[in-house]
Formats: sequence, C-alpha cells, structure tokens
Amino acid sequence: MGTTFLPIASLTTGVADRDGWMAVLPGFALGIPYGLMIMSLYKKYPQKNLLQMTEMLLGKWVCKIIGVLYILIMSYFGGLLLGQIGDIYESSIMPRTPIEMFYLGGLLLVLYLARSGIEVFTRFTEVVFPLIVIALVLNMGLSIPRIEQGELMPILGQGIIPIILAGSKVTPFVMEYILFLAGILPFLPADKQEFTSLKKGVWLAVFLVGFMNTLVVLMQIVIFGPSETVNLVYGLLVLGKMVEVSRTIAGVESLFLGAWFGALVIKICAFFFVVLWSLESLFGLKGTKSHLVVGMIFMGVALNNKRGPGLVVEIGLVDNYLIFPFASLWILTIWTFSHWKKKVGVS
Amino acid sequence: MDVFSLEEESGCLMKSSRKKYMTGLMIFSLFLILSISGCWGKREVEDLAPLMGIGFDLGEKPGTYLVTQQYAKTKKGGNSGAETEERTLGAEASSVREAFDIVSKAAYRTPFMGSLKVIVIGEDVAKAGGFNNMLDFAQRFAEFRRSMYLVIARGKAEDVLNLKLRSEQLPALYIRSIIEGGHELSAFPMVRLGHYLTVLGTKSTAPILPVVEAVKDGDRIHYKAEKADEAGEIRIEGAGVLNGDQLVDFLNDEETKGYMWLEDDVFNRLINTVDLKESTVKFSGQVLKSNTRYKVKSDGENIGLNYQVRTSIAIDEVLGLDRQLSGSDWVELVKEAEESFAKVIQQECESAIKKQRELGFDFLGIGRHIEQRNPKYWKSLKERWKQEVSDFPVSFDVKVTVHHTGMSSSSATNSEGEGQD
Repeated sequence: MGTTFLPIASLTTGVADRDGWMAVLPGFALGIPYGLMIMSLYKKYPQKNLLQMTEMLLGKWVCKIIGVLYILIMSYFGGLLLGQIGDIYESSIMPRTPIEMFYLGGLLLVLYLARSGIEVFTRFTEVVFPLIVIALVLNMGLSIPRIEQGELMPILGQGIIPIILAGSKVTPFVMEYILFLAGILPFLPADKQEFTSLKKGVWLAVFLVGFMNTLVVLMQIVIFGPSETVNLVYGLLVLGKMVEVSRTIAGVESLFLGAWFGALVIKICAFFFVVLWSLESLFGLKGTKSHLVVGMIFMGVALNNKRGPGLVVEIGLVDNYLIFPFASLWILTIWTFSHWKKKVGVS
Repeated sequence: MDVFSLEEESGCLMKSSRKKYMTGLMIFSLFLILSISGCWGKREVEDLAPLMGIGFDLGEKPGTYLVTQQYAKTKKGGNSGAETEERTLGAEASSVREAFDIVSKAAYRTPFMGSLKVIVIGEDVAKAGGFNNMLDFAQRFAEFRRSMYLVIARGKAEDVLNLKLRSEQLPALYIRSIIEGGHELSAFPMVRLGHYLTVLGTKSTAPILPVVEAVKDGDRIHYKAEKADEAGEIRIEGAGVLNGDQLVDFLNDEETKGYMWLEDDVFNRLINTVDLKESTVKFSGQVLKSNTRYKVKSDGENIGLNYQVRTSIAIDEVLGLDRQLSGSDWVELVKEAEESFAKVIQQECESAIKKQRELGFDFLGIGRHIEQRNPKYWKSLKERWKQEVSDFPVSFDVKVTVHHTGMSSSSATNSEGEGQD
C-alpha cells in the first residue's frame, strides 16, 4: 500500500477512463490465490522461505538463478522507491531541500528498522498504518466539497474490457506484497490455528488495501475528471493541496505527506528485508556489512535514476515487466511442482 | 517460584521495555528527519510577499504577455495586523516565470504563490486565445493551489487589478469576496482553476468564466466618486464562453442566469417578475432551494433533452396590488406568482439555449448530459456533435412552489379613489 495510492488513479483511469475505480478491487483480488498458494506451500514446508523451498523442489542451481533475480529486482525496486521519497517531497512541499537529504533520511530509518529486526519493524507498521489510513480518509473526506457534478457517469460506458485491462495494471502492486510474503514466511507462526488466521490476513490485506485504493481512484475521478486524473503525476498530493477548511486551514498536505513518508519507509524496508533474507539464504551473508552494502545499492539506484514522471514510468515498467511476470511464474511453478511431487509420491 | 523463572521473567520485562523504547525512539527519529530536512529551504514569513492576484494582458511585443502581479502588504498603522494594502507590479514577458523573475528583481520580498486567490484574464488575451500557456505555471508549480478563481476582465486585467476601490480593499481580494458570496445571488458561475481544467478535459463542453468589470458612477450603480470618470467599484456580471482557451462571446446577465439554472448551480437567487408583461401584479422573491434534473427523451425517431427545474421560492415583495385580498384571493395570487416565477425561469433558460445555438458551442454541457444518460447514443453522436449542437432538441419543465410569502398576507393599499392618479 505504501506507494500504490500515488500512481494508481492515473494508471487505471488511463485505461478504463471513468470506470478506472472499478478495476482496483478485481486487480487486487488476483493477489488472493497467490497468497493462498504461498500459504499452502508454507504449510508443507514450515519455517522455510520461498527460496529455500525452491532449493528443495528444483535444486540448488535453479534456486541460485531465481534468488539472484529476486535480489536484483527487489534491490532495484527498493532503490526506485527510495528515489520516490525525494521526488514526492521535492516536487510538492520542499523544493529547495537537496533531494539527497530525503534519500538519506529514508535510508537511515530503513537501516535502523532493519538493524532492530522484524519485530520492531512490525511494531512500526502497527503504529504508522492507522496514521496512513487516517491521513487518507481525512484527505478524501475534506476534498468532498471539490467534487464535480456527474464526473462519474456513465458507469460502464466503455464496457467491461477496459476494466479488465486496467485491472492488469493494478495486479503488479499485489505481486510486490506477495514477494515480500515469500520472504517473511520463516517468521510466521506455523501451528494450525495461527495458520487459519494467516489465511484470513491475506484476504483482509488484499481487500482493505483494495478498498482504500478504490476510494482514492474514485475521489480523483469525481474531483479532477478522467482527463486530469491521468495527467497528474501525484494526483493525491494535488488533492491534499486543494483541501481548505473555511478560510482558516489550508496547506494540510504537509501533514498528509508525513504519514506517506511512513508508508514509503514501510515499503522500502520490506524490500530491504527481502534482499537481506535472500542474501542470507543464498550466500550466507548477514550482519552489519550486508546491511550497509544493500543500503548503498538502494542509495545508488535512487541517486542514479530518473525523477518526476520518468521515475513513475520506470516504477511502472519494473512492476509490469519484472515483478509481475517474475512473481506469478515463480510462485505458480513452485506450487505446481510441489503438488506434482506429492501426486507422484516423490519426497 | 525458583530463581531461574524469576530471571526469565525479568528478562522478558526488560526485553519488552527495550522494544517500547526502540519503537518510541524510532517514531521520534521519523519526525526528527522530517524537521531537519525542512530547515533547508526555510523562508521566514516576514520575507515573503503573498501574491493575491495575477492578471494577463497581451504585451506590446508579439508573443509576449503583460503579467500584473498583486501582492498584499501589511498596512502600517492599521487597526489590526490583517489590514493590507496593495503592491501591484507588472512585467511584460513571454512566460509567467520570466515575469516573476523581472518583478522579483524589483521586489524586496520573495513572491509566495500559495496565497494566490484570483487569476484575471484580460479581454484581449481571452479573445486572442492561447492563455492556457499562461495557466500552465499555475497548474504545475507546486506552490499554487487549484482552488484559485478564474475570471475574465472586460477591458484590461491590469486596469482591474490597479483600481483604487472605495472600500480600500485589494481588487484581487474584493473579487474573491464577490465570488465566494456568489451563492447568495447564484447569478454567475464560480470557476476554480481545477474546475476549468476538468471542463477542458471533457472535450465536448465549452468552458465558461465569469466576467469582472470596473463600475463607474452611474453605470447602474450610483455613488459619490472621488474623481470624475474613474471607477471605484467592481462588479461580476455575465460570463464569457470559450472555445478551448479562446473567448468566443460574452453571455449577458439573463443568459448567464439561464446557464446557472440549467447547470443546477442555483442556491439562493433573487428573482422578480417585473419584466413580465402579461401580469399586472409583480413579485420579487428569493430562491430557497432549487434542483435541476435532466432526462434524455426519445419519441421513437428523435432524441432530445428535457430539463426539469424544481424551485422553492419565498415571496419578499408584491407590487401593483390595489386592494386588500381575502384569504382565498391570496391563495389564488400565490398560484399566479408561482406561474409568473416559472415563466421568468423558463425565459432565462431559453435565452441560454438560444445563445448556445447561436454560438454553436456547448457551454451548457448538453453533450456530457447525453453521454451520462445514454452513452450508446453519445458514441454515435460525438463525432458530429459540433454540427448538432445548434439543432439538438431541448425542452423544459419548470415548476415553482412558493414556500411562504413573508410576514404579511397582504400589502398596503390606498383607500378607494385615493392616490390613483
């Protein structure tokens, strides 16, 4: 969820026009079968992450190839997201602050969380997540006076096909979450009762985030109209800038950006952890040195990449052409292979 | 309890308090990081010049614009810190950024765009077209907000912003106040930059902007002017219809009011039947509530749009009553008033439609209404919509309900035979 609510309206509306909001939940729903596939694999191979399962099912070398790809994609993507922190702040409220300060600030927090361990990270998300939801709800609620009449109509004016196509733009976002899930598995409880609540958690995560994102897209369409929704790089930030309470309160977007900063840190840290766990599984690398090396890679990607709309396009490309095919193929292959092995009785 | 379990318990407690400490420290660091980076580009509020209005006129050199910038300055010796005086500067440039650059060299404070309230587009720029290029800066640069208002000036925007108003207010703030009080009148559209861009995006609808003008003594308003032939008041009346960003024509007051009914943008309106020839008793009233819906109707062969206006009015004034009315007469008179008000509303709506047909530009958004109600039909129509705008069948169904007639059930009348001449 960390960054999805920033480009999602532009992506879905660009394909499905006024019906873009309808594509969000179906697009996210594809995450459920994949999440359940991972859960079923975890039930068979408790305390193992997906890379370790790959090694057990497909052998050492296939696992190494997939693992290296996994590390490369996650490192690059994490770096791009770090770059997005600077891009958002620089283009919206702090144009004079050197962009590197935002990268550094975000990275320091990520390093601190990674160093403190997964438990502190989850406690951090527990504290920040409600703030993100409150900020989003407030942002959208206070934008209601800006709604333009009739912008949502006609519903299904273009038919169902654009909605399906727009849904395919959303699915990579869920795959980001699924790839994190693939890495965090050994830290999850494995007893039967907890396992049921984990499965429920997958449903809840997908629907909660899907619902919030649907609201985000819906509000942007009814306020900006479809054409402007597509044009705006960070539509939600523009929405924040339009919030005015009487003539007294304006400029509250800075407060919203504080919550979004937390959301971005959560997402970057999730990928940071994934890279660390993968390095440990594949090459036995761990400790402060690996933290610093991964941090430098993230920083390097952020510093050497595009900014503004170019960065958003680059993130979209990685999502669509790397994360989505990689995650869907990998998980499906492992899951199918594990079932086939069970069927033919190979241990 | 043995020693080991006590140690274990105290270890757990230490671990849990350490976790709490770490979480607290982490959240603190989050805010610390944000505040540190914030100091970098800080600007003290005393060093900023809050921009209140911008005006665009054509420059003398081809391809240039005269960009007038109105800043607010705290009034020295004012009764409160909120009292401001104007500081208006203009620069001729080919881009708005360049104009700000020129003005900044003369200004002793840094312009702050976040406070901008009004953009005034001069008549010459509006007629020449192409002012979207000037608006690009306002929709792109992060300091601006899309909630600022857009107006077209009759004459030059520079003249409007340089007016010395009798109220001693800044013209930009005065215009903002008139617009924001506009719901009381519902006689002109309230157009923010965001709304303008949304309408532009629809392609089929022609944008419309309210018109601001300087008012001299005797121009339907009388006041004691300090200097003869110098305007001291500002008025918003009528609207300008645009084809993209080029002004096509102005709507008069009646046509603009018709637009407001059809756009379902009437909140409270003052309305009178003084100009209706067919009735001897005239009424004035205030619209309490109004709702306009539309239906795309088909009679088998033709498809047309039917507007349904439902309005609730309170009668404030009855003119031309020459006798005291009984209760039943009063009820009849109220029915007559409802019909008279409905006729006035219908006339205003018809004049807006007539203008739309004359111009051939869909400023009423009829194309969008068809798209909303009958997207299939719209698909077959949208390519030739420009040709169809002038002939598309439109009908009205206006119903007025008089909510109340004020504090009296009759009017003051002369005794029979007195004062009739």
